[in-house]
Amino acid sequence: MRENRLRSFGLRAASILTLVVLWWAGSRLMGDPKVLPGPWRIAQTIFANLTTPGPEGESAFFDIAITLARIFVTFSAAMLAGLGIGLAMGLSRIVERSLLALIPLLLTMPTVLMVFLAIMWFGYSEAGGLAAVLVVVTPYVAVNMYEGAKAMDKSLIEMARTFRASRRLLLRRVYIPQLMPYIFSAFRYAFGMTWKIVALAETFGLKYGIGYMFSFWFEQFNMAQVLAWVILFVILMLILEHAVFARLEARAFAWRPSHSF
Amino acid sequence: MEGVDLVAEEGQFVSIVGPSGCGKSTLLNIIAGIETHDGGSVAVAPRAGAGSSRPHIGYVFQSPRLLNWLTVQDNIEFVLEAQKVGRERWPGLVTKQLDLVGLPGQERNYPLNLSGGMQQRVAIARALAIEPDILLMDEPFSHLDAITARKLRYDLMEILERARPTILFVTHDLSEAVFLSDRIYMMSTKPARIFRRVEIDIPRPRKPDDAAVFDLERELVREFFSVLEGPA
Repeated sequence: MRENRLRSFGLRAASILTLVVLWWAGSRLMGDPKVLPGPWRIAQTIFANLTTPGPEGESAFFDIAITLARIFVTFSAAMLAGLGIGLAMGLSRIVERSLLALIPLLLTMPTVLMVFLAIMWFGYSEAGGLAAVLVVVTPYVAVNMYEGAKAMDKSLIEMARTFRASRRLLLRRVYIPQLMPYIFSAFRYAFGMTWKIVALAETFGLKYGIGYMFSFWFEQFNMAQVLAWVILFVILMLILEHAVFARLEARAFAWRPSHSF
Repeated sequence: MEGVDLVAEEGQFVSIVGPSGCGKSTLLNIIAGIETHDGGSVAVAPRAGAGSSRPHIGYVFQSPRLLNWLTVQDNIEFVLEAQKVGRERWPGLVTKQLDLVGLPGQERNYPLNLSGGMQQRVAIARALAIEPDILLMDEPFSHLDAITARKLRYDLMEILERARPTILFVTHDLSEAVFLSDRIYMMSTKPARIFRRVEIDIPRPRKPDDAAVFDLERELVREFFSVLEGPA
């Protein structure tokens, strides 16, 4: 187990390193830092952005904080809405029938289009970003929760009823643990969608934030800065994904005989 | 289902034997109160000396039906909490039942780390932990391989010598029923009804290869086939 984890970590590190080397070789071949700056140059730019005030008078930490706050708020709202709707669909036939036709409609809507629509309706405001995330992410979470509720093991519910478990005990010990895998898979996917939408909304309309900095430097045609912000963003999201979610998940599923993440 | 009258005395091991589809499991579910019935009545008297007025019903299913995300201990405590048993009694009850079913020290293990036979032992411990007035068992060994089932059947005898609950045991396996029971009710299909009641007084402890067990089984099998197939 331990050896396996070490090996998989080594493989991952090696493949990322290969990519960086290819990038470096490409930039050397190209020979024009305006088109493809090398990795070292980008690392320096990121460092400078983090330590010195940018074009709006704030360092990159400010934009990171803004983006993370937007992700956190919109993600929480979409998760809560999706959990509620999905469970209601799983537990009530009326809700199930009325929403089942609606959800595929929302799921097929192209994400970029939703961001544009939200900005047209709500203007360049925080509400626009929130609306876009809610419309795109909520149906996905709801579908996952709905499937989780449907897949619950009826024989365990029957067992609990035989032993006269109260509704609360049933929820705590039987329902929620069975929903956990669905909650987590919805959680991860929804998080991935949320940060993409927030970045998109920032790029197109919102003031401040990492996406806003993309578009700012894009308009200046500054390749080094655009790449620096993109890579900073990716690193940030990878850290969140692995340091936070993977750990939570490993803890929640400790009961599985051989879980590997 | 009609004409199904059966009585189990306190501390008695009563089996209901019949082919699949005769409604044996439905009968247990009606007694457990998780399936409704439209006629007839079920009465379970609390054990002598038991304080509560509502009878405690333990249930061992065909498959263990354990909550795999909870430790063995938490699985047993789940039913203790469900039955509102005082929390101060939990540790003692858990240890006692696990010792009884031959799984001492497994409190912190998770069900999926246990073999099928051990999981079923936990299920038995769980059902016994609530000190049931009646213990319902629905073909509890039918999902196990023959050797594990035989061992567990034998151990169940010993467990019951010590715990002594009243048991209603459903099976389609006549030799199992003869080996374990004090009384057998034999059921037929279409219509589902009890056609025979057999009292078994083969002295305990019995051995699975007891000649008396064999003889009785053979006699009952013959009788079963004559009823199921009707007059030739």
